Amino acid sequence: MNILAAVGIEVPFTLPIVDYNAIAPLLILLGAGVVSVLVEAMLPRGSRRFIQLFIVFGALVAALAWIFTITGVRVITAEGAIAIDGPALVMQGAILVLAILGALLMAERSIDPSGDAFAARASALPGSEDEKQFTARGYLQTEVWPLFLFAVSGMVLFVSANDLLLMFVALEVMSLPLYLLAGMARRRRLLSQEAALKYFLLGAFSSAFFIYGVALVYGYAASTQLPAIASVLTAKPGQTSLALIGMALILVGLLFKVAAVPFHQWTPDVYQGAPTAVTGFMAATVKIAAFGALMRVLYVAFGGMRWDWVPMMWIIAILTMLVGSIIAISQSDIKRMLAYSSIAQAGFILVGVIAASPAGLAGALFYLIAYGFTTIGAFAVISMVRDESGEATNLSKWAGLGRKSPFVGSVFALFMLALAGIPLTSGFIGKFSVFAAAIASGDTWLVIVAVVASIIAAFFYVRVIVVMFFTEPGPQTASVEVPSVFTTIALAAGATVTLVLGILPQPVLELVSNADLFIR
Amino acid sequence: MTEVNLGEEIVFWISGGLAVLGALGMILSKKAVHSALWVALTMINLAILYIANSAPFLGMVQVIVYTGAVMMLFLFVLMVVGVDSSDSLIETLKGQRLVSIVLAIGLAILLIAGVGAGLTDVVPVGLEEANGVDGGNVEGIARLLFTDYLIAFEVTSALLITAALGAMVLAHRERWLPRASQAELSRSRFLGAGHPGNLPSSGTYARHNAVDTPALLPDGSPSELSIPGPLVARGDVRPIDHHDVDQIESLGGGTK
Repeated sequence: MNILAAVGIEVPFTLPIVDYNAIAPLLILLGAGVVSVLVEAMLPRGSRRFIQLFIVFGALVAALAWIFTITGVRVITAEGAIAIDGPALVMQGAILVLAILGALLMAERSIDPSGDAFAARASALPGSEDEKQFTARGYLQTEVWPLFLFAVSGMVLFVSANDLLLMFVALEVMSLPLYLLAGMARRRRLLSQEAALKYFLLGAFSSAFFIYGVALVYGYAASTQLPAIASVLTAKPGQTSLALIGMALILVGLLFKVAAVPFHQWTPDVYQGAPTAVTGFMAATVKIAAFGALMRVLYVAFGGMRWDWVPMMWIIAILTMLVGSIIAISQSDIKRMLAYSSIAQAGFILVGVIAASPAGLAGALFYLIAYGFTTIGAFAVISMVRDESGEATNLSKWAGLGRKSPFVGSVFALFMLALAGIPLTSGFIGKFSVFAAAIASGDTWLVIVAVVASIIAAFFYVRVIVVMFFTEPGPQTASVEVPSVFTTIALAAGATVTLVLGILPQPVLELVSNADLFIR
Repeated sequence: MTEVNLGEEIVFWISGGLAVLGALGMILSKKAVHSALWVALTMINLAILYIANSAPFLGMVQVIVYTGAVMMLFLFVLMVVGVDSSDSLIETLKGQRLVSIVLAIGLAILLIAGVGAGLTDVVPVGLEEANGVDGGNVEGIARLLFTDYLIAFEVTSALLITAALGAMVLAHRERWLPRASQAELSRSRFLGAGHPGNLPSSGTYARHNAVDTPALLPDGSPSELSIPGPLVARGDVRPIDHHDVDQIESLGGGTK
């Protein structure tokens, strides 16, 4: 910090104070991302994959380990731009663990006979001679790894951003690599590219709403820092129309990322088109990151306007739960069905957000963690169920799968039961904690709607189990490929956590309740 | 500070109007190049407005970066890619255009009314302080970038790296065959379907000699080979004016 002074350069302003210890996980990830880009630029093709995996897993584990050393830190640093507090640390930890599982899925190379989940060269036109040649030569697009690291850095920053402008930058750092990763599937490439384009265009729109909202809020509060906005709201409670419009526009941007109705249109296409490994990673981690930012904005900056945002969020939560659950029933593609399921789940988490109490925050955090592990496990199974044309995502191909491969079938059934919220799975504890928190805050009617939506949702989760176990396997039933150790670990971790959080949720419940509140 | 003087008001109404005109033109033009030029108009007028609002740094950056770099790059890309870039105007969802226009107008009314209501009776303050504290607008922004927005500024680099990497991943073509040598190329031109020598140059006539004018074959028909491919694809080939040809031939006294 005093280097400049030491060499005799006079600085005409006070240098910012940054708590490098508290933001070290972010710096590790960003640094690893840059190193990873250099590896792409400088090393020969053959050695890249191994080194990239080494960097990615090394960085994720190092960042996670660092978080364990700073669990007691509660600090607002970098001139108020970053808040490292209990919820931020919990969410950063959860994002990193789930990112490790996501990276394991992305590193899988034995399921698809021709390589990993990504196109040999994303730049080769689908169906062209180039594409055939690159695939035949076993090229791998190792650029996915730096993109992955930047996406994780963006998420880690997103949940701790205490300044709307930094939050916007983090949102883009998180989203841009995901747009790219979504378009790089090895199979059904046109579908994948269409998904990426849709995700990019709609994402750009939602970012524009977000930044317009930030501008209006800045016009109101003369600051982009969340606590400063809150104090201006208390100081002049009367003239809030700018803050109100600004808040609404910011929420559009954030609700787009959590896939809440009516900002959910991208979800089914992107979940279906993206490579399954990316879908699993994205479904689990983006949800956590986006809900983290949403809760921080609502509680820290706009806590004083609670009576303005609660009715709006009620409507959105109800729509999200019902639309997600009802449309999921009519889906015949399993990835699309899980996309609508993720919309419905976002609605259930919103119930906890609306409760706006310590119990609601803890419940939402628990739900997000439980949902993340279950989802990543479910997509791991989907990536293994294949026929000769690639992944068999049509439900008709899943008929009798449970009898053909009882073990994988049962694991998938466990994930479905957890998503439906059946007791003894993590999903039940998650639903129970957010619903209990909402009732304690007086939102009983919302909980009644949520329970109805859960029952509707249970129908399509259980239907998958019925299709898998209560139909005879036919000639068109897909087969389960034997994965390498990568997917096996991810799948085992997802299943174990889903079961353990259902039977022994206490340690994690304590973790999320001891996380305190967001600091101001 | 609350006083808006006459000059500023005139600048606002002219530049603001032109900016809106540019934005409308951008949406309504059918050719991508025209759209790009309309955007340039909007950008320049926004820059003028920024400068009029005591934000010279932002104004200059707007001109240099957006109008200068981004828009010109955009035009280059359009020119290079070139191939028919007018949009398809067929609605794939029935009634979508109507619904979106209605919703857009609704949103506009809501925003204008809301922001308008929010800004009446507001006394603007702080402009002199913001520009004065560090001895100027540029110095003020510099201080903010290295203090309050240090992390945001640094993390933006991750965004730029991602963008560069993404462009490479999506657009960089690698070759899986070694590059053909001069001898191989020439052999394949003569043995294969390619054109053995140089392609014919474009037509050179009394009135036209640009690259969009096709050379004529002995039978009077235009030679496809004499025109660059992108021009053919874009439909920019100049048709042969047979009246001209006849006229010139009769002047030369030639027989048909």
